[in-house]
Amino acid sequence: MPRLMDMGLSKLTNVILQMAELSKKSVATSMEGFRNGRTVIDQIYQWSEELRELEDETNELATEIIARYQPVASDLRYIEACLAISNGFFRFGRYAYDIAEVLQMFGDLSNCEKKIVEETAATAEEMLQMSIEAFLKRDVELAKKIKLMDDIVDTNYREHIGRSMNDPKGDLKCVMSTTLILRYLERIADHADYIGDLVVYITTGFRVTNFRKSLPLGQEQQTTGKKAKLQGKPQPFYDGKN
Amino acid sequence: MRRRKKKDGLVMGELAIQEQSDIDISLASQQGEVLSDSSASVSQRRRGHKIVTIDLKAQFGRVQVLRGINLEIKERSITAIMGPSGCGKTTFIRCLNRLHELTPGASVTGRVILDGEDIYSPKVNPVLVRRKIGMVFQKPNPFPTMSVYDNVAAGLKLNGVRDKAKLDEAVERSLKLAFLWDEVKDDLKKSGAALSGGQQQRLCIARALAVEPEVILMDEPCSALDPTATAKIEEAIFELKKDYTIVIVTHNMQQAARVADYTAFFYLGELIEYGNTEQIFENPKNELTERYITGKFG
Repeated sequence: MPRLMDMGLSKLTNVILQMAELSKKSVATSMEGFRNGRTVIDQIYQWSEELRELEDETNELATEIIARYQPVASDLRYIEACLAISNGFFRFGRYAYDIAEVLQMFGDLSNCEKKIVEETAATAEEMLQMSIEAFLKRDVELAKKIKLMDDIVDTNYREHIGRSMNDPKGDLKCVMSTTLILRYLERIADHADYIGDLVVYITTGFRVTNFRKSLPLGQEQQTTGKKAKLQGKPQPFYDGKN
Repeated sequence: MRRRKKKDGLVMGELAIQEQSDIDISLASQQGEVLSDSSASVSQRRRGHKIVTIDLKAQFGRVQVLRGINLEIKERSITAIMGPSGCGKTTFIRCLNRLHELTPGASVTGRVILDGEDIYSPKVNPVLVRRKIGMVFQKPNPFPTMSVYDNVAAGLKLNGVRDKAKLDEAVERSLKLAFLWDEVKDDLKKSGAALSGGQQQRLCIARALAVEPEVILMDEPCSALDPTATAKIEEAIFELKKDYTIVIVTHNMQQAARVADYTAFFYLGELIEYGNTEQIFENPKNELTERYITGKFG
């Protein structure tokens, strides 16, 4: 027999899935704008505002479910995770808007090398899609795969910065726009990774971040590329020769 | 890049760090009847276990109500026992102070070790056990013809205490511990039955505390009370754990979640899961526990 709380949980799931769809569309459209030079900012702004409203709706629904039914165990974990996941989807929308804003600010980018952005975007979008699927199917294995892909995006971003700093003849407009877009894609990948962690938490009760913190420094570094960079010796981007 | 603050239990803080419940039960069970000076006793005290039950079984005639409970109750903490009706919760705590055997046809096997000593040993006087392990029942049951003062002093008077100053001191101390003193101090001669339901229950707690027990058993102490009275009892219970070991049977899972440091889930006379309360309510290990607390049971 369904419980009264199940109606609330099912509403919550529907809002999250709506957000997933909208945020996926926003990121894909921003990248389409990058590839084709099409103006997309107005459309993406509208979606990003819708995502903001849906995030508020998630918060209200979650609060109501907690107040009415005092959820525990897997119900409580699900609600806690939904709050964080809805914020993740909202962030996807905001980063898509940030990318659209870069396109607007810098104008025509047809002379810029687009390969690295396109490659990184393909990975980030795939991670986003995987995070949605992992959430839908409660697929822990898929969630773990997202983490491995995060390193590709991080490396692309950092290598681009390293190359640009050491290339004084580079086109400033291309360098800056590419840097900004890669930075936003890197953030999108991070949030997809977090959603994967939350799927693990919903399903198993295991908090991935707590696990990471509990590892000795060396092992922790191996868990993600980002951690390694944060905690390892920083490598200067600029070698001072130019 | 994500940073999270260290997550502590909301209320429990240090208590959320569960000690390894590694008492050597087999060692305890190999000792003689009186374990006061045995190594098991030392081990039990060192590790902070006030009560240890070993293969505790209880029957009403041919009906087996408890089917071998092994549970370690930590000293100066609140342990909640929850489970559906008929799972043996109440019988379990009634075995902890030898009340169960008073029911005609009822019997107990197994061991209940209190501070290293088996309370079911032939050498042990059950009356002394009940003095050490006080009890508060579901329905407030103050002595109706006695005043507030006499209700609290009754246990001491029965034990031969006649010194007025000692009685006064014990009554005031117990009523303060039960969070009732401020409400009754101006009229201690008032009948206990004239108090509200919540006050009566706190009076019963004060009465149990007056004889200076070490453990307090509570059998659904708030089920007949409104939320305000419940909150006061819960505050009192929470304060009491500084000096007492408390075991509380409750149907109200939120109550267990609010006050208990450790929670045990019983089903059909068996202990299904026992752990720190945060873990039981956030991430129960057993599917039955999960289904019970999320309301997917039956």
